[in-house]
Amino acid sequence: MEKVKAIIIDDESLAREIIKKYLSTNDKVELISECSNGFEGLKAINEKKPDIVFLDIQMPKITGFEMLELIEEMPVVIFTTAYDQFALKAFEVNATDYLLKPFSLERFNEALEKALFLLKDKKSSKENVEKLIGQIDKKEEFLERIVVKTGSKISIIPVENLRWLEAQDDYVMMHTSEGKFLKQKTMKYFEDHLNPEDFIRIHRSYIVKLSQIKQIELFEKESYHVILNDGSSLPVSKNGYAKLKEIFN
Amino acid sequence: MNNPLTKLPSFIVYLAIWVVFIIIDYAFFTGTFRLEARYVLLDSIISWFIFLWLGLGFWFPAKFMSLDENSLVKILLQHFCAAIAASLIWVSLTYFILVLLWGVSVEYKMFVDGSLIWRLLSGIFLYIVIVSLYYIYIYYSNFQSKLVKESELRALIKEAELRTLKYQINPHFIFNSLNSISSLTMINPDKAREMTIKLSGYLRATLANNEKQFNYLGEELENCRLYLDIEKIRFENKFEYIESIPEECKKLQVPNMILQPLFENAIKHGVYEALDKIIISLKCSIKDQYLNIRVENDFDTESISRRGQRIGLNNIKERLRLIYNQDNLLVVNNTATNGNNGSESKGLFSVSIFIPIDNTNLSRINDGKS
Repeated sequence: MEKVKAIIIDDESLAREIIKKYLSTNDKVELISECSNGFEGLKAINEKKPDIVFLDIQMPKITGFEMLELIEEMPVVIFTTAYDQFALKAFEVNATDYLLKPFSLERFNEALEKALFLLKDKKSSKENVEKLIGQIDKKEEFLERIVVKTGSKISIIPVENLRWLEAQDDYVMMHTSEGKFLKQKTMKYFEDHLNPEDFIRIHRSYIVKLSQIKQIELFEKESYHVILNDGSSLPVSKNGYAKLKEIFN
Repeated sequence: MNNPLTKLPSFIVYLAIWVVFIIIDYAFFTGTFRLEARYVLLDSIISWFIFLWLGLGFWFPAKFMSLDENSLVKILLQHFCAAIAASLIWVSLTYFILVLLWGVSVEYKMFVDGSLIWRLLSGIFLYIVIVSLYYIYIYYSNFQSKLVKESELRALIKEAELRTLKYQINPHFIFNSLNSISSLTMINPDKAREMTIKLSGYLRATLANNEKQFNYLGEELENCRLYLDIEKIRFENKFEYIESIPEECKKLQVPNMILQPLFENAIKHGVYEALDKIIISLKCSIKDQYLNIRVENDFDTESISRRGQRIGLNNIKERLRLIYNQDNLLVVNNTATNGNNGSESKGLFSVSIFIPIDNTNLSRINDGKS
């Protein structure tokens, strides 16, 4: 029988070491790669297509959650974390397991068995992780940075650099001071996760940063446009106009 | 509260005032009316000696008729009755002793009979004056004790604020350290033991010091070194620590646990977020009555820090402000030198804190030098 492929992503070598040791006691699983940060992890997952990933949450550059957002083919994920209230809450209601550091071999094996079981039904595990990420999103305060992948390049965009957002089918086009980036999220997601003191949804398809608005113009009868600092002119819905009026009055 | 006039020094002053009163009274009546001087003197002494004791008793209506708790009408009415009663007692007692008991000339008795209404009125008037003075005294001492209570309360609030601002152990650090120990027990037991000992030392110092307000810089640094050693085991060669501290600085007192968060900040935003090696340095110097402690770390400008980077530093600033009453004792310097195309872009982050050197601190420097 072919062995199950696993990789470990953790920035602390000692933390990787213990998982490695624990894994060596199990002959069904084979460790194929070790990564010390999210970038390496992303590359390894996309190239080596592991079945199981042991993933730390707090790591340099991008967090474990942010890394998962960029992955094309979702493996079964077992989170390993020292202390994270958000994660704990989210995990409580999900099947994908988590390990609180430090963990025993028994606890580790329990999580591994669960993962191996889930592997048989990959689709449901993918849903689980997505549900999990969704829950974390809900718990988080407002976004501070957004991670996007264009081709093989990963960009981390601070929310300060965001100017306006435009709906494009299943994606959202983010217009930033560093250029345009496409992110697979909904407008609703951004509306909920951007600070409403800074951003406003002026239209079904547009969210703009308030400080970017240069002027509001009457376009046709009963229809308005906002002109932004970068020169773009965007339509405002009736609802959006009411919101704008409330803010600027 | 007791009548302040019953205390000896103030009672003597009170007596003296009445003696002066008797002299003025005597001089006035012998000068204005053609009366027998010895009766005037007797009259004066008897009247004012009686009033002197009544005046002490006026304390009670003033004390029990608090201005805050009763309506104005009620107060005025009650004092009015008290004043008339007191004055009546006074006048009849005087009359009884002077005229009936002692005996005066017919001429002087006529004067006394004619002056009864004036005596009654002046009794009422003096009642009002004395009660008013008592009220002023009560009000003033209430005000004083309120001030004392307020300043005590402020001190309590300050203490509570300081306690919450004081450094607290980061659970993330503890659990990650324990995880490292758990791992080391399998691959390097000696190192596991070393780390356990260091972690214990660090925890012991942190827990024990939590009650203290001040600590010697030397001791403070030892605890920080324990912390850094532990992080070094966790992150192997991801950072290096350099310190330069003149010997005389080590004997100075600094607020307890004030440095720890600075190092934690450097580790969190420098080491946690970087892929390459980070250098953390500490420099101390004494200049213009201030001890300057500067913690510096380089960092990767590419990494965008997540939340919470300012809270720790603001806490320190707030603590310094509460302890030393100065607002400018923490200075943050952040220089990001952006490299081209995002390659090799390193910034330098430094936090300087300034501890005013007070007299106790100064004498310690001098002791150290001599």
